[in-house]
Amino acid sequence: MLELVDLTKRFKQNEAVKNLNMFIEKGEIVGLLGPNGAGKSTAISMLSSLVEPTSGDVRYNNKSILRNPGPIREVLGMVPQEIALYDDLSALENLQFFGRIYKLKGKELQIKIAEVLEQIGLTDRKKDIVKTFSGGMKRRLNIGVAMLHDPEIIIMDEPTVGIDPQSRNYILETVKRLNEEKQMTVLYTSHYMEEVEFLCDRIYIMDQGNLIASGTKEEIKQILSSEHTISIKADRWNDRFIEKLKNNPTIHRVKVEDREITIVVPKEVNMFATLAKMAEEADLELRSVDINAPTLEDVFLHLTGRALRD
Amino acid sequence: MIGILLAKFKTFIRNPWTFFIFTGMSIVFALMIGGTGGMSSIPVPVSSADDIKESAIGEALEENEVYTFNWMAEEEMKKRVSSGKAEAGVILKEDSYEVIVGVASSNVEMIEQTIQGVYVEKRQNEKLLEMMGADTESSQQEFLDNMEQSIESPVFSIEASSFRSADAVVHDSASHSLFGFTLFFVIYTIAYNVLSILIEKKDGIWDRMILSPVKKWEMYVSNLLYSFFEGYLQVIVIFLVFRYWFGIDFNGRFLEMLLLLFPYVFSIVALSIFITACVKNTQQFNAVLPIIAVSMAMIGGAYWPLEIVSSEILLALAKINPLTYGMEILNGVAVYGYSLEELLFPISILILMGVVFMGIGIHLMERRHV
Repeated sequence: MLELVDLTKRFKQNEAVKNLNMFIEKGEIVGLLGPNGAGKSTAISMLSSLVEPTSGDVRYNNKSILRNPGPIREVLGMVPQEIALYDDLSALENLQFFGRIYKLKGKELQIKIAEVLEQIGLTDRKKDIVKTFSGGMKRRLNIGVAMLHDPEIIIMDEPTVGIDPQSRNYILETVKRLNEEKQMTVLYTSHYMEEVEFLCDRIYIMDQGNLIASGTKEEIKQILSSEHTISIKADRWNDRFIEKLKNNPTIHRVKVEDREITIVVPKEVNMFATLAKMAEEADLELRSVDINAPTLEDVFLHLTGRALRD
Repeated sequence: MIGILLAKFKTFIRNPWTFFIFTGMSIVFALMIGGTGGMSSIPVPVSSADDIKESAIGEALEENEVYTFNWMAEEEMKKRVSSGKAEAGVILKEDSYEVIVGVASSNVEMIEQTIQGVYVEKRQNEKLLEMMGADTESSQQEFLDNMEQSIESPVFSIEASSFRSADAVVHDSASHSLFGFTLFFVIYTIAYNVLSILIEKKDGIWDRMILSPVKKWEMYVSNLLYSFFEGYLQVIVIFLVFRYWFGIDFNGRFLEMLLLLFPYVFSIVALSIFITACVKNTQQFNAVLPIIAVSMAMIGGAYWPLEIVSSEILLALAKINPLTYGMEILNGVAVYGYSLEELLFPISILILMGVVFMGIGIHLMERRHV
C-alpha cells in the first residue's frame, strides 16, 4: 500500500535519514521506533509529502507521490508531534475549522464532529477554549482533528509525549479501537518501547538515520534468542561489584540503574553461582536475581549499545 | 479560504488586545506629542499699571491665542528677560509701550506687532467714539457693540489667499504627529498578524493545511488579507477618533485620505512577510521588528518633518522607506491639498515596494520553511 524506497534526506552536512526502506500494508499498525534525533519525524514528513527527499522514492499503491502528492494527501490523517491547534479557539471551533478545510459542510460536518468528540472523550468539554485544556486533552484533540475526514492512513508522530499515564492509556486504546473498528492503517512513531509493543503488528527501529531492525515483535525479539537478560536488584551498589561484572568475559552488556543492574549473557550459561560469588567478594547483599524474556528495549540496547532514552 | 478567515476573526474576537493596545498608543502619542487641539502658546512677561490690565488693552491681550501675557512687576519682568527665561518682555503704558528684548528673534517682532495691533485698535475706537460724539459710557458701549456686530456680518465678504513657493514648508505639528504615529504603530499590528504564519508553521497547523485540499496560495492570501484588514481597521479607527472626537477635518478629504492609505497598508503587509521570512523564530522577530519599525519611523519622517533632515545618507534611505511615502500621501492630501495626479508617484512606489517585498518574502519563506 505505502512504500519507502531507498529514502535519503540530507540537511547541509547532516544526513537525517539514510537509505530507508519500509512498507506499510492496509489495516496494520506499524511502529517506527527510535530515540530522539533518530530521523523518525523526517521520515514521516517525507512519507506524508511535506518534505522532499534528497533521493529515493515514496510510493502509494505503486505510484510515486513525489511529483503528485494528491492521492496520498486525500487519504492521510496527520497527528504532528506539536499541538497543532488554535489555542484561543474552543475544541468545537478547532474541529469546525479543520473540518471546513477538508471541505466538510453543514450536517455532515456536525455529525462528524460529534462522532470525533465522542471517540476522543471531549464531548462535555467541546465549548471550552483549548488553552484551558490539560496536556492530555490537547493531545486527544490533536488526534481528533486528524480523524475528521475519515482517513485511510493515520500517521502519529509521538502522540503521547509529555502527558499523564491515564491520558496515555486513553490515546493508546483509541488508536487500537480505530484500527480494529475502522480498519485504519496506522504508522505510530515513539521512543516508548511499551507503547509500540502494545500497539504494533510490525516494527521498524531507527537510530541515527539508519534502519537497524525491522519485523514483527517476535521476529525482532528473536535477535536476542541466544541471550538472556538478567535483572539483579540490591538496596545499594558498590563499585567493586560493578567492576567485576564489567570485567567478566561471559557478560555481554551491563546497564546500571538506581536499584537494578541488567546484564545480558549467553543462554547456555548459568550465572547464579557466579553472581552470588561476585556479591560475596564485593561485600554486597543481593535482593533478587531474575531471568527475563527479552524486550524491545533489550533489542535496542543490543543493537546500539545504548538505552532507547539515553 | 473562508474557513481560515473565519478562524482568524474568531481568534481576534477572543484576543483583541494587541489591536487595542497599538490603536490606543497611536492616539495617546499623537495627542501627547502633537498636542491636537491647538498649538501651545508662548509666554510673554508684561508689566503695567493696574488700570491697563483691566482696560480694553488688557482684555485684548488676554484673548490672544498665540501668546500668553503674564502680568508681573517691572523688576520681575526685566529679571526674566535678562536671565533668558523669556525672549522679550513688554511695559504697557496708557498710550504707548516698550518692548524689552532679550534675544533678537522672529518672535520679538511678532510680539511687537501683536501689541501694536492692540494699541492701533484702541486708538481707532477712541477716534470713532470722538467722531460719533458718544460721550456717555452707555452710548459708547452701544456704539462699540454695533460696530462689532457689523464687523462679524460684513456686507461684502473678503477671501484672502497666499502664494507658496515650491520650496516652502507648511508644518502642522498636530497632523504630522497623528499621521506619523498612526503609520508607525500600524506596522506592529500588521507585523504581529503576519507573524502568525511563522507560529502556525512551527506548531504544525500549516502542515495540516498543506495536507488538506486547501491550496497554498489560499493559505497565504487569507493570512495576508486578514493582516491587511486588521491594519487598515486600526488606521480607520484612529482617524475616525480624530475626525469626530477632536474635530480635525483633514482638509475636507477624509474619505479620500483613508482610501489613499491602501497602498501603504499593502506595502507594510508585504514588508512584514519579508521580515517573517528572514527570521528563524518568534524571539528573533521580536528583536528585529522594533529596530526596523523605529528606524523606519525616524528615517521616514514620522517623528519630525523630513525637511529638517540634512544628511544625504538619511535622505537616501528615506527614499526606500514605505513610511516616507505614506507620510507624503497623508500630508499631501490633508495639509498641502494635492490632487490625485500629484500623489501618483508615492502611490506607485508603495505598490512597487509591496509587490517586490511580497515576492521575495514568500519565495524565501517557501525555501526556508515547508
